[in-house]
Amino acid sequence: MAVAELVKSIAHTTDLRDTYVPGHRTCAGCGPALAYRLVAKAAGENTIFIGPTGCMYVANTSYACGPWAVPWTHAQITNGGAVASGIAEAFRMMIKKGKIQDKFPNVIVMAGDGGCSDIGLQAMSAMFYRGHKVLCVMYDNESYANTGIQVSPSTPYGATTMFTPAGPAIPEAKKHQMKDPMPIFLAGGHPYLKYGATASIGYPIDLMNKIRRGLAEDGPAFVHLHSPCPKGWSFPPERTIEIAKLAVETGMWNLYEVENGDWAHKKFSVMPKKLKPVDEYLQTQARFCHLQPEHVAKIQNFVNNRAKALGMEVPLPPAQ
Amino acid sequence: MPIKKKGTGLTAVADAWQLADIDVSASYPIRPYTAVMAELAKRIANGTMQCEMVHGEGEHAQFSIAHGASMAGARATTGSSGVGVTYAFETYSPIAGSRCPIQALVGDRTLDPPGDFGSEHTDCLTLRDNGWIFGWAQDAQESLDNSLMYFRIGEDPDIMLPQIVAMDGYFVTHIAQDYIMPDQDQVDKFLPKFNPKFRLDVKNPVIMGPQIEPEMGPPLEWDRHVVMTKVKEKIVEVTEEFGKVFGRKYAPFVEEYLTEDADMVFVLQGAHAVTCRSAIKYLREAGFKIGLCRLRWFRPFPDTALAQILTKFKVAGVIDTGTSYGAPCSGGVLSTEVKAAMSEVAGKPIIQSFTSGLGGETITHEEFFAMAEMMKQTLQAGKIIQGGTWVNFNDYHEGASQINAAKHEAAPSK
Repeated sequence: MAVAELVKSIAHTTDLRDTYVPGHRTCAGCGPALAYRLVAKAAGENTIFIGPTGCMYVANTSYACGPWAVPWTHAQITNGGAVASGIAEAFRMMIKKGKIQDKFPNVIVMAGDGGCSDIGLQAMSAMFYRGHKVLCVMYDNESYANTGIQVSPSTPYGATTMFTPAGPAIPEAKKHQMKDPMPIFLAGGHPYLKYGATASIGYPIDLMNKIRRGLAEDGPAFVHLHSPCPKGWSFPPERTIEIAKLAVETGMWNLYEVENGDWAHKKFSVMPKKLKPVDEYLQTQARFCHLQPEHVAKIQNFVNNRAKALGMEVPLPPAQ
Repeated sequence: MPIKKKGTGLTAVADAWQLADIDVSASYPIRPYTAVMAELAKRIANGTMQCEMVHGEGEHAQFSIAHGASMAGARATTGSSGVGVTYAFETYSPIAGSRCPIQALVGDRTLDPPGDFGSEHTDCLTLRDNGWIFGWAQDAQESLDNSLMYFRIGEDPDIMLPQIVAMDGYFVTHIAQDYIMPDQDQVDKFLPKFNPKFRLDVKNPVIMGPQIEPEMGPPLEWDRHVVMTKVKEKIVEVTEEFGKVFGRKYAPFVEEYLTEDADMVFVLQGAHAVTCRSAIKYLREAGFKIGLCRLRWFRPFPDTALAQILTKFKVAGVIDTGTSYGAPCSGGVLSTEVKAAMSEVAGKPIIQSFTSGLGGETITHEEFFAMAEMMKQTLQAGKIIQGGTWVNFNDYHEGASQINAAKHEAAPSK
């Protein structure tokens, strides 16, 4: 594995060329758009993006144009992993045969939570299993956002979406706890997937370096990138970064890395001294405004259990 | 030197893919097409071929992998059968729409239920509206030759369309036959390297498949529509050149057999043509003036060729080896299309629909005889006696009884 050249500070990033450039129509305060910009900046110019259907396809490529200075291709929401596999192997084989003179590019799938962990899960798992040199970035805005905010496996318990409204019969709105792709992919079931990390747009340097570590791998890599969505989560657009950070501070989001496929010894890149109560986070977003104390307690309980399961040794708020 | 070989349609296509120096092939097992991938795997393991074989996790992935490889500029192939073909359905239009000329081998298989391994054309015909070019081969040799011709046509800068080399399951995919594997020099002379104008290239960044405004779509669809006309011209040109380079001459669109003096013809595609030809010999001895028209292409549909050819006959019996439930005139897809193609042609024959060979059954001599008999009754009556005949179900005996019934009805006293 090549050693990643790390980004040291925000000041350092001004030397890096942006390849995700203006010219799109994402919402004000869009978390995924910022995610794209930081990923592209970290990856550099020898990069090809695969964009399975999602908000970052619809909002970026409307009017037959797109905000990339590097090659980008659409994939179906189902098959980002498979299309990327084909691209990576085509480059490998054509370079090997001397048919092209290209330097092997960074192949990055920017898949939403649906395109990565729901309808696109099969293709992504197969891509990791086969060991193609592809980085999958799951930019997670916790819903199917391009279709107008519908529930996805990433939607937290208790959030309203178009498909999970709150009502007298279902007061908590979404009934299921979220699916976590990190252990699905990285707890040992995909032998060639050695590097995985969770990241957040609230921690840009950490995020960019995780992208670079992933790209330095000889095989596949996975970055699960928390990307708050003002429209979908119902919060004012100027609070995106604040909410991204609050997620980490409350344990609604955890920042860690898995290196060398060693799930048991994950490295926390940000470890809060203690977790704030989830209620502080829930109160920032109207998608949770209907929740009763018992629902909040359920979320606190889930978050506490997850923190313990991940091995976070920090004081946890009471789950009552 | 070309090599005389004994093999199946699948090994023959593996030969074509080896000669075409494909870069990526995506596999997933389903009978009966599977052996082409097993054959590739062997050749890659032996070092005979340099190709990356990606084991897809399903047919949807197979076609997606090949799609990605093609966008990167590679010559890529894949294949499937039956419900595998339909499982990949989402991918067909995006592949054709992004003008990625991948090649797929479809070894026909019935769609479930009831989980029959036998050959029916329904699997491949379901994707007829997605912008792929395809036709059926009747034997191993034609499978190999089609594969090379399809690459040449599909990858032409004026065309850029994906292709399906279709063949009947078992009859072509599994029966060992003699065929000739061409020489590499011949293939290199015939098939240029794949060199797309646009590919994923960081030195020349392009955006592929963006969202567009509603009014931007129809021009692209018009372009896909128009290119099919160009494909027809290209087929004529490439089939002729193929004959010159390899010494095997094919009719570009429709192969005719004993049609010179015929007043009736069978119209079909694929391997059943082999049995049909031998049945025709017996029918000729029995006094039937009957021949065969075998379609070599289904998309683009050879309507101009058919308009010229079929007007020579009085009755055309179109044999569908597949189903389209509720289709017009109780026919299958092929007969519906033949009827549509001939609808405004002056002097067209009476077109009769037959459904036969379902479930991978051989269409026997006896069944061809039965169809010929019914076509004869149509000829004599000057009109269709019974539309949409499923051979062995509502067959010609019923047709004959209807003639009798009609005769009685017409009689002055009952």
